Amino acid sequence: MMPDMSQQGREGSSDWTPDTTAPIVYLNGVSKSYGRIHALSNITLGLSGGVTGILGLNGAGKSTLFKLLMGKVRPSAGEVRIFGEDPWKNPAPYARVGFVPEHEKMHDWMTALEFVATFARLHGMTKPQAEKEALRVLDFVGLSDVANKEIGRFSKGMRQRTKIAHALVNDPDLIVLDEPLQGCDPLARTTIMNVIRELGKLGRTVLVSSHILSEIERITEQIVIVHHGKLVALGNLHAIRDRLDQIPHTIRLVGDDVKHLAKDILDHPAVYGLSFPSSDELLIQTYHFGALHAELPGIIVRGEHRVREIDNPDDDLESLLTYLTGGGA
Amino acid sequence: MSQNERSNPEAPVQGQARMDVAWGANDGDETEASAQTAQAAASGEIFEQHYTPWNGTLNPRWMRNWAILRHHVLGVFSKGHRPWSMPTRIFILITFLAAMGDAALTLVSSLFGESELHTIFGVSRDNLYGHVLGFFPRNTLYYPLIAALLVGGVISEDRQHGTSALYFSRPVSRFDYVGMKFLAVALIQAIVVLLTYCLYFLTEILAFGRGWAWMVDVFPMFVAGLLAGVLLIFTYTSIGLSLSSVSRGRFFPGIGLLAILFGTKTMASIVKNLFEREVLYLFSPYDCLAHVGQTIMGTQPTYTQYPWTYSLVALIAMNATALYVLATRVASMEVTRE
Repeated sequence: MMPDMSQQGREGSSDWTPDTTAPIVYLNGVSKSYGRIHALSNITLGLSGGVTGILGLNGAGKSTLFKLLMGKVRPSAGEVRIFGEDPWKNPAPYARVGFVPEHEKMHDWMTALEFVATFARLHGMTKPQAEKEALRVLDFVGLSDVANKEIGRFSKGMRQRTKIAHALVNDPDLIVLDEPLQGCDPLARTTIMNVIRELGKLGRTVLVSSHILSEIERITEQIVIVHHGKLVALGNLHAIRDRLDQIPHTIRLVGDDVKHLAKDILDHPAVYGLSFPSSDELLIQTYHFGALHAELPGIIVRGEHRVREIDNPDDDLESLLTYLTGGGA
Repeated sequence: MSQNERSNPEAPVQGQARMDVAWGANDGDETEASAQTAQAAASGEIFEQHYTPWNGTLNPRWMRNWAILRHHVLGVFSKGHRPWSMPTRIFILITFLAAMGDAALTLVSSLFGESELHTIFGVSRDNLYGHVLGFFPRNTLYYPLIAALLVGGVISEDRQHGTSALYFSRPVSRFDYVGMKFLAVALIQAIVVLLTYCLYFLTEILAFGRGWAWMVDVFPMFVAGLLAGVLLIFTYTSIGLSLSSVSRGRFFPGIGLLAILFGTKTMASIVKNLFEREVLYLFSPYDCLAHVGQTIMGTQPTYTQYPWTYSLVALIAMNATALYVLATRVASMEVTRE
């Protein structure tokens, strides 16, 4: 058996021009199995432009999807295309791609500048070019003043920013971020979200994965939901939410006079049940979450109720998946 | 600005110092400095970020490959490149100094003016052969160990550091990646084997004031020694990297290479001594290299029961097998655990 030389790769970025008629990311009937484990099953997807959130619980297949896109693994079935090219066979499209991996293993012995410049050189930049561009992206992510510090001494947020900088150094058209917000503090999350939104505004295609719905909601409206290796939803988050609003929901309120508040709410047509798990806690069951949620602040203000917390326990990815999979999640 | 506005991601903000607050402390989470920065986080505001696109052009494939090669080779000498382990670097230095022993002793023989010393240490057909292919001490102690240390970690450490995943997200093909690793390992060995060989030759010229006639006379021998050295390095590297490609750790390829080199040599020697048959030498990479080397350098052959072309064919077969294994593994290499 001769080795598969077809994936040797054609020449590179300078000789390669993308297929402008093809979607930037295209998967057609893609499946991936690791032995007897089916990580992805028959995924068909086409994406171009803007920020897209890839949502799924841990182990849903998000990372495998990204590994397929990044040519790290070969699909067991179906076709994967980036800029119209098969990334397993031809790495040239990666000249236009930036990838932020999930893993935390970094080149701790290098400074941020050395790290970013080293990977800039893998795009064919000369040393002065690479250092100049490394400084440009380090400045964008706010690390220019620690550019000459070793990565091993960085905090989690700074390491994430360094990874983002290294992915942006070639000014990519497609940016793939695998769980970029994981482990970051709230302010770091907000800043990374700003970076992602800014790139989306510039017309870049950004794929960002997460298992937390609210995180993705703050970044984009365009989502892809993967569950047990299958694509269960694709499209606008609000459209999916509108449909979600029509199913039973629970709203949790915590306050000093929840029993009085319950009296005011009881007559609302959207409410079909109330319960008091504790003396200062009220659970409201509703069939029309959106309508009730819109009116709830008015009811609280008019009745002069003192409410400390309003929470929607069903407003998470698990609930969304339960709905989308018909309770099979 | 109200607290709500501060936590609103859409709120525009300015100030470099505030950026550090947004990202966490610059000095790490465990230090006092980070605690001080955390206090400032009470006013936590976030930069309005503006991305400046790059309008340069990307250079061709050979420049990317050059970047990989220099990253690996320069790592032996300085920080900021591929970090070869300290024992590997120390052993390379020791071997380099030991290999320079020939040059040093040639210089000493020149300083003392003793012809007997020069006969033992100076440039001659046998000494040039010995520098590259002598079994003791170089091929029992030094050169295979260097090859084993280099090939052991060259791929597995990339997996440990997550580097291969990052490489494959660049416009770098798997064959370029492994090809440059092959070249880097070979170049580092060449520094020890061939650079010291050239310096040895140069020392003889300078210390004894050799003229053109001597140089022209000895040059074919010198080139034959270089060729034998290239064969040695290529063979050790291809066998070592093929072992590395079928292994996840650094121990197996290193020990495997040493076992193949010394195991086959030892077995062949035992069989020769017991049964007076040299045929098992054809399975020993070192002996095949030595046989071919002795022939092209014109020294007295130690293998007499079969022609040198058999050794050459065996050597080609060994390298072809090793490169086939390497190519097959590389072509199907999936990065699943990074």
